[in-house]
Amino acid sequence: MIAWLRHHMAAFADAVQHIRRAKGSYCLNVLVIAVALALPFAGLTLTSNLQSVSGRIAVEPSISVFLRTETSREQALLLAPVLTKIVQQYAPAGRIAFVTREVALDALQQKTGIADTVAALGINPLPDAYLITLDALDTPTGAARVDPLVAQLSAVPGVEQVQVDSAWVKRLAAMLEVLRLLVTLLASTLALVVVVVAFNTIRLQVMTQHAEIRVARLVGATDRFIYRPFYYFGAMLGTTAGALALGAVALALQPLNQAIAQFAKLYSTQFHLTALSWQQSLLLLAASALLGLAGSALSIRRHLARSVGS
Amino acid sequence: MALITFHKVAKHYGAGVTALSGLNLSIDKGELIFLAGPSGAGKSTVLKLIAAIERPTSGTVLVNGHDIGKLSAAGLPYLRRNLGLILQQQSLLSDRTVLANVILPLSVCGATRGDAEKRARAALDRVGLLDHANVLPQSLSGGEQQRVAIARAIVNRPQIILADEPTANLDRVSATRVIDALKAFHAAGVTCLISTHDEQILEQAARVIRLENGSLAEKNTIPAPTGTEEGAIP
Repeated sequence: MIAWLRHHMAAFADAVQHIRRAKGSYCLNVLVIAVALALPFAGLTLTSNLQSVSGRIAVEPSISVFLRTETSREQALLLAPVLTKIVQQYAPAGRIAFVTREVALDALQQKTGIADTVAALGINPLPDAYLITLDALDTPTGAARVDPLVAQLSAVPGVEQVQVDSAWVKRLAAMLEVLRLLVTLLASTLALVVVVVAFNTIRLQVMTQHAEIRVARLVGATDRFIYRPFYYFGAMLGTTAGALALGAVALALQPLNQAIAQFAKLYSTQFHLTALSWQQSLLLLAASALLGLAGSALSIRRHLARSVGS
Repeated sequence: MALITFHKVAKHYGAGVTALSGLNLSIDKGELIFLAGPSGAGKSTVLKLIAAIERPTSGTVLVNGHDIGKLSAAGLPYLRRNLGLILQQQSLLSDRTVLANVILPLSVCGATRGDAEKRARAALDRVGLLDHANVLPQSLSGGEQQRVAIARAIVNRPQIILADEPTANLDRVSATRVIDALKAFHAAGVTCLISTHDEQILEQAARVIRLENGSLAEKNTIPAPTGTEEGAIP
């Protein structure tokens, strides 16, 4: 065990020494890989933020069922069990609340600041309504259930209009799916770039260390002894580039958030992008290290397996 | 029992080049053998076969009981750890100090840094180069570089030392020092196989195997292995 550790420590030290010897080319390779990694990392940050937004919005999507103005209060209240039954068919955990026209008018006056205009009308133009709150519509499948629900609600006698913007819920969910798919494709493609860069870097290292490898083999070095520093080198290349990419994405969020904050202000809301959590960052760093390791492993097997003295 | 045995060994390279044909040899533990012969006689090929740098085309090469032709890639490093190789081409690493070059075989075997350094310094001391431990090999003369190679070859206390033309391109004084160093290790019980075409060195040798066109030459100073067809004249 101690000998095994000693071998690994020596291999790690060897890899560090090679980095120190060729700092310039190492930095350039790190930069290339970091650029390749920054794109999917940024995509992940964006989807992660949008997912949380869509989650918040989609948790309680609502449908407003407006009754005919001539419907009496008693008739309106009698519709509650009918509507509840319909809602439960599609959203068992859905809730239904009766909103009187008076309450609705109050809310309208408070929210829009048009109290004077409404007062000038002299009458309350709003009908009684039911507010139906649904859940589990944050997926395309869930969102698809809104349309038949609306159709059934509209068919209930006494209902004038059913207002729901299910389209945006579906659209957002579908957009997120597309974005997720794009990020996955981008990540896969750029992961390949990382592997290729690591592969080529190690190939060049093997070429420059040809004499050293040859001598090591002649004095009895095992393949593992020869390969190990290259594995460490590849993993370090990936890790450093991953850290740089994460840092770059985190830095880019600062100016982006300023612009987003101004934009969101126009819609009287607040929104800002947050960096990935430390758990997510650690996972991405590990993935970057693995990609570098994969590139070096492929390169070593391709370029060292048949080299001198093997 | 023989430490190294060649039985009807042939080695062909591409394009019909024959390096060895039907060679029979037997070398006992503790022998000091000089391989002689003109260029292309097969001296280097014999050494490369023993070190498993090459594999025989046909026949059997046994080193310490291991059949080189059947030796697995995984077993190769462990065979080489028992060999001290001194090659014709300088095989010292130019970007490492003399000491680091000598430490390399010990690092490969997993020796601790302290122990490796101690043993490497002792090996350099034996070849008279301890004062040059911290310089780069290219700052040394050809003879000194060859002695560094010897120090590297013996640092792991190998059973066999294989030296391929260790005195090539050296002046007489340097050549003598190199051969004397090898003789000293032989005296300590190490089996040494040295290829050379330096007649002055061969004159002092007790046993010489002469090769010619990949086979034993007619006149040899050691007996052929027992039970082999090819004769050797004492």
